[in-house]
Amino acid sequence: MRALLTAALGLASVGLLVAALGYSPGPALRAFVAGSLLGPSAWTATLLKTGPLLVAGLAVALCFRCGVWNIGAEGQILAGALAATALATRGPADAPALLLAPAAALAGALGGALFGAIAGWLRAMRGVSEVISTILLNFVAIQCVALAVQGPLQEASGAYPQSDALPAAALLPSVGRVHLGVAAALLLALAGHWLVFHSTAGFRMRAVGLSPRAARFAGISPERTAVGILVLGGALAGLAGAFEVTGVTGRLYEGLSPGYGYTAIAVALLARLEPLGVIPAAVFFGALEAGAGAMQREAGVPAEATKLVQGVVVLLSITLAAAPIFRRAPAAAGRS
Amino acid sequence: MNVLVGLVRPDAGRLELSGTIFDLSGWSPSSALRAGVRMVHQRSALVPAMTVPENLAFGDPRTGAFFRPRRARAAAEALARRFALEVPLDRPVEELSPGQRQRAEILRALDRGASVLILDEPTAVLTPGETEHLFASLRRLRDAGRAVIFISHKLAEVEEIADRVSVLRRGRLLASLASGRVSAAELGRLMLGDELAPILRRARAERGGERKPALEIRALSAPGPDESSHLRGIDLEIREGEILGVVGIDGNGQRELEEVLAGVKRPTEGEIRVRGERVALQPRYLRAAGVAHLSGDRETAGLVPGMSLAENFALKGSYDDRRFFRHGRFDRAAARRAAAEAARRFSITPPDPDFDCAALSGGNAQKLAVARELDGRPAVLVAANPTRGLDVGSARFVQEQVLERAAAGVAVLLVSSDLDEALAISDRLVAIVRGSLVAVPPGSDRSAIGAILLGRAQA
Repeated sequence: MRALLTAALGLASVGLLVAALGYSPGPALRAFVAGSLLGPSAWTATLLKTGPLLVAGLAVALCFRCGVWNIGAEGQILAGALAATALATRGPADAPALLLAPAAALAGALGGALFGAIAGWLRAMRGVSEVISTILLNFVAIQCVALAVQGPLQEASGAYPQSDALPAAALLPSVGRVHLGVAAALLLALAGHWLVFHSTAGFRMRAVGLSPRAARFAGISPERTAVGILVLGGALAGLAGAFEVTGVTGRLYEGLSPGYGYTAIAVALLARLEPLGVIPAAVFFGALEAGAGAMQREAGVPAEATKLVQGVVVLLSITLAAAPIFRRAPAAAGRS
Repeated sequence: MNVLVGLVRPDAGRLELSGTIFDLSGWSPSSALRAGVRMVHQRSALVPAMTVPENLAFGDPRTGAFFRPRRARAAAEALARRFALEVPLDRPVEELSPGQRQRAEILRALDRGASVLILDEPTAVLTPGETEHLFASLRRLRDAGRAVIFISHKLAEVEEIADRVSVLRRGRLLASLASGRVSAAELGRLMLGDELAPILRRARAERGGERKPALEIRALSAPGPDESSHLRGIDLEIREGEILGVVGIDGNGQRELEEVLAGVKRPTEGEIRVRGERVALQPRYLRAAGVAHLSGDRETAGLVPGMSLAENFALKGSYDDRRFFRHGRFDRAAARRAAAEAARRFSITPPDPDFDCAALSGGNAQKLAVARELDGRPAVLVAANPTRGLDVGSARFVQEQVLERAAAGVAVLLVSSDLDEALAISDRLVAIVRGSLVAVPPGSDRSAIGAILLGRAQA
């Protein structure tokens, strides 16, 4: 119900804003809806945007649930993309697809996990707020990518600051343009749900997120749990980054991520930190991206205007969704 | 009381104060303040990061546009002296013990000339001496023409201080009598609806044979937030089936002792032995050794708000309880069954295993904690203020459970700021004063114990 309301309001605000900016709302809205939801090419665009938002959104949701404010998904995505590209382009050139594609994904996860671990270590050892450390690590990751594509990972021809095209063996199989990573994202969300509500580790996570003090008296270490969840979140975001290079772009370049890591935070909040809720939330934002792109291309609404529209919709939706998270009302808890 | 101070809007009702009739439909906290109604709640309403003088000045219109620290401190000092309530004035409230915080709360309420002062269980954390001081202050307020509403479950105190007593049960006013006309026993009957059986001290007698020590603590030292709460070389020994009551003014190391025995505070030295075996002071190992921990504070008791009864019942077993946690999986169904069974046996309301613990009343939450801790058949029970803030029925229930367990051979360490409770159920008392234990001679009366607690008498 709330989701439908949000979607309807979102659409209405798109129309209103576009009109207010002086563009004709009719064609703009038509392009928006057609470009995101009508027809296979629209759905392709939507799903391709949904993929990374789903995985990164899941990462953020899991962290936030634990009281760990991971704002570093953006950097972790890039770190993952970097690691995956490094392995695929500089690793054994004749490795079979069966090994190389999963290896690239694993490398991505490890890259993201590393960045998460740094923030985790700083928090555990020095009490550094992960809000600060993860934001700053985002900048580190952006510069690492820049450094890599202008240096060691730059394409052989040296023409542009981008990596070589990834070998075919490293690329994810796909249906049309929709790559396996999207399906994997869906499975990960399901796994995330199981983790939070049915696993021992998830049980401890939830306890720490709801009351670190009570958890401590139950023998659960909030510090260790926080570090663990930062590593896991980082790994997931890194995986999202790996999927982007192996499934969508085929190579690494600066500006690979149009702020997926930050949008993932909005996704997580819209999903009210529920792993299953991340699925529709990610689709919503994916459609928003795809629709905005179509609006730009086909109705002539300039890029800045579409970004403005997206921003307002994001604000609106998380305002509607996020308030209860910070004031948890006692409902029937324990039901997943 | 929440209606009276404007926190809850009633469906119907009228308020008459000093002859003026107020319509309660528009009643708000500011209306209550303007009318001179002040309340000291059970849960602290002070700003934790500010000191007491800052808290007193906060929201006080007399403070003006600029806050003057020295003036505020002097005013606070004068106020504290006037009402004879000792409170540290230079430390943030979050560093004060519950007893000190309570006194600061009372000061704040008294500060602005309350015409109606409401106190909710104010003596829960006060010593006998401080209680006497408080009562003296209350009598002075009454004589000066103000009204005092004293909410309490301590019937003896009600008998002592009240001019009139009103009994509420299940939202109805049962009786409103001049206090001289009704005894504590009769009050209890009105409150619970039947004749209160006196707490039975267990017949100690016929237990033959040597009782082995169940809990031994040697040379335990641990840091505390201030001078008087450092634990210094605590030695104690409790035998099977024995209840040792540790009494003291809040802030003398009780919290530190509790935290060390719960495994969340590392001592600087010392060790404990359970049934002769040395045990590491961490929650998991303590639990495995059969040490259970009950507390009057929910989070300290290890109840997570937002998790259900079932999840809280299983909470402490996430590392070793194979009934609920196997192969990395949480068996929710098993936890629900166990919690439902516990709810049935201990009459927890509502008995719904998925009910959010945060919404449980104090009494029911404590019953859940008791059910959980006793579930593992512990050898030692560490109970710190287990009946704090509970209604008569729930408090009685918890005390009976403790006595029952002790009769079955469990060694109980009862840390309590409620002297009456400690006297009623302990076999033996010891006082904790400035982090050290001081023996209490058997048969000491309340004022003698009070003197020991204040450090004014030799053991």
